[in-house]
Amino acid sequence: MGSIVDLNGRASYVHWHFFLMSVPNLVVVALMLIVFALALYLRAPGARRPKDDK
Amino acid sequence: MSSWTGRVREFGLRNLPPERLLPDSQPAYMTSAIYLFGALTIGALATIIASGTILALKGPTWWHVQSIGHFFNSIHLWSVELFFFFMVIHLWGKFWMAAWRGGRARVWMTGTITFLVAIPCAFTGYISQQNFDAQWIATQGKDGMNSLGVGAFFNVLNFGQMYSYHILLLPIAVVALVSLHILLVRRHGIVPPLPFDDSVAAASEPKP
Repeated sequence: MGSIVDLNGRASYVHWHFFLMSVPNLVVVALMLIVFALALYLRAPGARRPKDDK
Repeated sequence: MSSWTGRVREFGLRNLPPERLLPDSQPAYMTSAIYLFGALTIGALATIIASGTILALKGPTWWHVQSIGHFFNSIHLWSVELFFFFMVIHLWGKFWMAAWRGGRARVWMTGTITFLVAIPCAFTGYISQQNFDAQWIATQGKDGMNSLGVGAFFNVLNFGQMYSYHILLLPIAVVALVSLHILLVRRHGIVPPLPFDDSVAAASEPKP
């Protein structure tokens, strides 16, 4: 990760009216929302489809 | 009257019979990936405890002077990041399926309290880093604690006190709460999906 993005400097911030959040925190929140949405539609790895769910 | 050990055994068997504590199978709806995030959170917690134990054995300055110490410190940091990442998704999933249904209020409440206790557990880690970042966070944090009127009890400028909270008191609380949460989940079973509303389904069907 450190070789892709410089993690040693000060973080950039998104500031819009009352909203103030660092870009790293914003990235984490966006990733959580994406993973949550995917988890609602995907099956657990290795899970077999139930017989009555076709 | 039986002994207290017998009464504890009878209580345990009555509330958590072996087939319920360690079941052979789970309901079909658990094939959804959203049900994975509780177990993923526990996996991250186990990694936190294991890496934190190694760091505790070597002391809080180890990671500053040896690369292997830095490696275990990074394992500890990123497992905490994943712990909160998975726990928040677990929380969202359970909130939207109203996981407190069916007599599961205590399951929901122990999960909520675990989340609340895990936050100061992580914060005390930030002020245990033994660097300028820790000093900055501690001097900022003490104003917050004093504004709440608890500065006399939780002195974030006292490294020894905060380190004790971080590696002993708060982890014991988190592990105890997680254990209780899991036992309650086993007792009440995994919450089923919300019932499908037939009237909504009928309204969305194309009219002949």
